[in-house]
Amino acid sequence: MSWRNALYLAVRSLSWYRGRAITIVLCLALTLWLPITVRLLLNQFRADIISRAVATPLIVGAKGSRIDLALHGLYFDSVSPDQTTMAEANYIQDTGFATSIPIHVQYRTQSINHMTGVPIVGTTIEYFEFRKLGVADGHGLSMLGDCVVGCNVAARMQLELGDRILSAPKNAFNLAGNYPLKMNVVGVLAPAHSPDDNVVFVDIKTAWIIDGIGHGHQSLNQADDGVLLEKTDTNVTASAAVLPFREITADNIDSFHFHGDEDTFPVSAVIAQPASRKNRTLLLGRYLTERRDVAQCVKPTEVVQDLLNIVFRVERLVWLSSLLSATVTALLLALVLSLSIRLRAVEIRTMHKLGCSRWTIAVLISTEFLMMCAAGIVMAVTGAWLVSVLAADGLKSLLF
Amino acid sequence: MIEIQQLKFSYPRSHFHLHISDLTIETASVSAVVGPSGSGKTTLLHLVAGILPIGVGNVLVDQTDLSTLTDAERRRFRLQQVGLVFQDFELIDYLSVIDNVLLPCRIGDAVALDDGTQQRAVNLLERSGLADHIRKPVTKLSQGEKQRVAICRALLPKPAILMADEPTGNLDPKTSDQILELMLSSAREYKTTVMMVTHDHSLLHQFDRVIDFEQFLTSPETASSAEGASI
Repeated sequence: MSWRNALYLAVRSLSWYRGRAITIVLCLALTLWLPITVRLLLNQFRADIISRAVATPLIVGAKGSRIDLALHGLYFDSVSPDQTTMAEANYIQDTGFATSIPIHVQYRTQSINHMTGVPIVGTTIEYFEFRKLGVADGHGLSMLGDCVVGCNVAARMQLELGDRILSAPKNAFNLAGNYPLKMNVVGVLAPAHSPDDNVVFVDIKTAWIIDGIGHGHQSLNQADDGVLLEKTDTNVTASAAVLPFREITADNIDSFHFHGDEDTFPVSAVIAQPASRKNRTLLLGRYLTERRDVAQCVKPTEVVQDLLNIVFRVERLVWLSSLLSATVTALLLALVLSLSIRLRAVEIRTMHKLGCSRWTIAVLISTEFLMMCAAGIVMAVTGAWLVSVLAADGLKSLLF
Repeated sequence: MIEIQQLKFSYPRSHFHLHISDLTIETASVSAVVGPSGSGKTTLLHLVAGILPIGVGNVLVDQTDLSTLTDAERRRFRLQQVGLVFQDFELIDYLSVIDNVLLPCRIGDAVALDDGTQQRAVNLLERSGLADHIRKPVTKLSQGEKQRVAICRALLPKPAILMADEPTGNLDPKTSDQILELMLSSAREYKTTVMMVTHDHSLLHQFDRVIDFEQFLTSPETASSAEGASI
């Protein structure tokens, strides 16, 4: 008996008993789909989370949780680590071992168009070069108060160039604290398929203004004496009646200033981009010795890998449950096939009478079974692939 | 020609015993096989068709001794030389009319599935009045139509022997006549030897010969006394 004839008869049989065939194919497909999908999604998850870490050589920050520091430096939207200061960024830069990129992520935007606020990332222009972020529309940061938004933020919040977005104060009841700053959208980033798509970028000085460290207000020399508490030749002390500007414009930008030493200004983390492997080692050495008591330097790949090792233990449970369900399905299929062969006893007997060998009958039944298995596998793989493609963005939004 | 000599057959764990000393059926003859239920009529058909292995004795079909053939050789012999028609038609539900007729070509390599065979299948169906039903599922056919399909299937390989086991048993009298007419006329046209088991004695006048089977049925106790019985 040729395979062509076996296939022909198998197709006819499956078509006739299509209810049974579809049920078996669906059972197989569903049994296979889950572990395949989980494997694909976890691989994707692993690749996404690792690629970001691999692209980030070192992260420096305050002593404390290395996981919080690494995740905050990589993905922004996580538990905020203890803050370090701009002195750390300057220190790294001064060593000459690496380019330092400070990151300040303490505030979020206010909700816009019913969309929850997103993190405001204060950084320097080097960050955009480091992450290879391009501007799809508008231009980059050029003055205090400017912001560029990630492509997902622009899409979800329906933001366009020239729109204003407000920062959200940390505590609405702290009158002496920070005030919301109205930021001017000057650019929309091209899609980077990374956490950078989901945040608003400002210059780090703008971030400090949001933080209340810098501010701008009316000239106290021209202010009404009623708002001045004390005035000497060198110092002027004003009351809280002098309100800071809530928006930075060309007219008031010159009035913005910072109080204190920049070295003491807070940053969440500092990305260190060593020029060479040797410099990387040297910088790590510094943080294991002389800077050991004030800061820590983490390798994001190691931290993320440690994290993944914990997270992916779940995968083993999924595999175990899949194995159990596959065993149950196999037993059920064996039962269905056995009953099916019994139901087709007359047909099998007829074929035997006509001259068909037992081997040929076995080939016919096996062909049907193999076709159902093949259909189930194709469905499972296709389904898993579709889910991995369609759920990719959703997965990333969960991650980042 | 079918020649049976000293054939003895029994089923395991059964009191049934068949003993045929000598039976000869001429080529192109049309024989009816009659006898009480359980007398071994169907068993004889199965032995001559090679479905059952020959235990003791010889069965020669056109000089081919079936008792010397292996199982594979008997299957090949069956596919090429024997056409079978059953009381319950035994068509395959999931195949169309034409596919049922061509089934012997698909389940073995004894009969080639070529254009000539396919044309022959169509011709047989057209001649059987099934020209309009060729692509239909067999489940859509009447009982008589189903039996006509079964006859076409049996005749497709141009068999030397056509064996029918009560082919009209499930049909009304009018349809029975039509089926018998189709089967016998086709057999005579192709000079096919016909052995047909029937209980319907009103049909016997249409056969060249009637084999009454009762005489072959023996019990273990009387087997020796029945030896030598022949027609």
